Amino acid sequence: MAERRAGRGGARAGMWRALAAARPLLRPLGAVAGGAPRAEPPLPRVLPLLRVLPLLRAPPRRGCAATGGGGGPGALGAAERCQPADTVLPEFNIDLVVALLRQENAKDICVIQLSPELKYCDYFIIVSGFSTRHLHAMANYMLKMYKHLKEEGCPHTQIEGKQTDDWLCIDFGSIVVHFMLPETREVYELEKLWTLGPYDDQLAQMTPQSLPKDFILGLTPNSSDHLETRT
Amino acid sequence: MALLNRRIGLSLTHLNSAVIQRQFSITGACQAIQKLTRVRVVDNSTLGNTPYHRPPKCIHVYNKTGVGKVGDKILLAIKGEKKKALIVGHKMPGPTMTPKFDSNNVVLIEDNGNPIGTRIRTPIPYTLRRREGEFSKVLAIARNFV
Repeated sequence: MAERRAGRGGARAGMWRALAAARPLLRPLGAVAGGAPRAEPPLPRVLPLLRVLPLLRAPPRRGCAATGGGGGPGALGAAERCQPADTVLPEFNIDLVVALLRQENAKDICVIQLSPELKYCDYFIIVSGFSTRHLHAMANYMLKMYKHLKEEGCPHTQIEGKQTDDWLCIDFGSIVVHFMLPETREVYELEKLWTLGPYDDQLAQMTPQSLPKDFILGLTPNSSDHLETRT
Repeated sequence: MALLNRRIGLSLTHLNSAVIQRQFSITGACQAIQKLTRVRVVDNSTLGNTPYHRPPKCIHVYNKTGVGKVGDKILLAIKGEKKKALIVGHKMPGPTMTPKFDSNNVVLIEDNGNPIGTRIRTPIPYTLRRREGEFSKVLAIARNFV
């Protein structure tokens, strides 16, 4: 039991040294954490934050570069201490989401900025993964980061599509992220719909909808022969 | 296509289809969507758009009450097979400042929640976004919101 504890301590020490050297670790961190049962509570909280902070020292990001850059070296130098999360939480915005997706080896990240008159969201992100497990892992990681970084924001955020194996989706209020497999992406072609708008070819191919035979029109003087909604 | 009119003197010049006038009263929508309600599939799936001699009917509402409102899942009988669907609009007036539609609109989904069609032409109520449930996929293939 002694050597097991030493072995685990040795692995942990190695991990801290690697983090202090400011190299973002992707899979090794996950492998160690998944393999050995983690007994200490602070580690899960510190882990995602320290994976993110190296990214903030990368090419400048609008908005959070000042706080991130200042807090980055200070945080990593003090990797031995408890998490430096009090002052240097990065804001959960589009840059952070794209950075996290790149870190997760997402394939074909497509970010579409929607115009405000669509009134859906600001940014619409579509991301491909290599396998079902990859999609689930990316979605869970994104949700974990969101919950970690957003204290007072949108309360209800869940991963939609957990029962499926090819399409997951998270709605963050102003950002919507869709995780799909490449085949599913080909079928739905969401990028075409949201960029082309009314000129989308799948929309044009839809035959103009004819009303069913037993349809009874609402009887108002200004109702016309095609469907209209009344608000 | 047969349209039933209550009043004879209604101006029909803007309608370009044949009209049969009958003299019986029609009640409005009583409950929103319940068992044996005929619904209208509004996406571009082949299952929803191929003509069949019977309209798609709701055979079960996945709800504590048997009445389905916008955002509820129902079970449809289409072309002799059972398919789940999501209600995106009904004829019954809802809460104030929510849209009311002229037909009971429905989007076909699979058991795991993926929509079967790839585009939706009719407007979709925006209140789906606030509701708890898996609606982002349906909103993603919709064209315009109300």
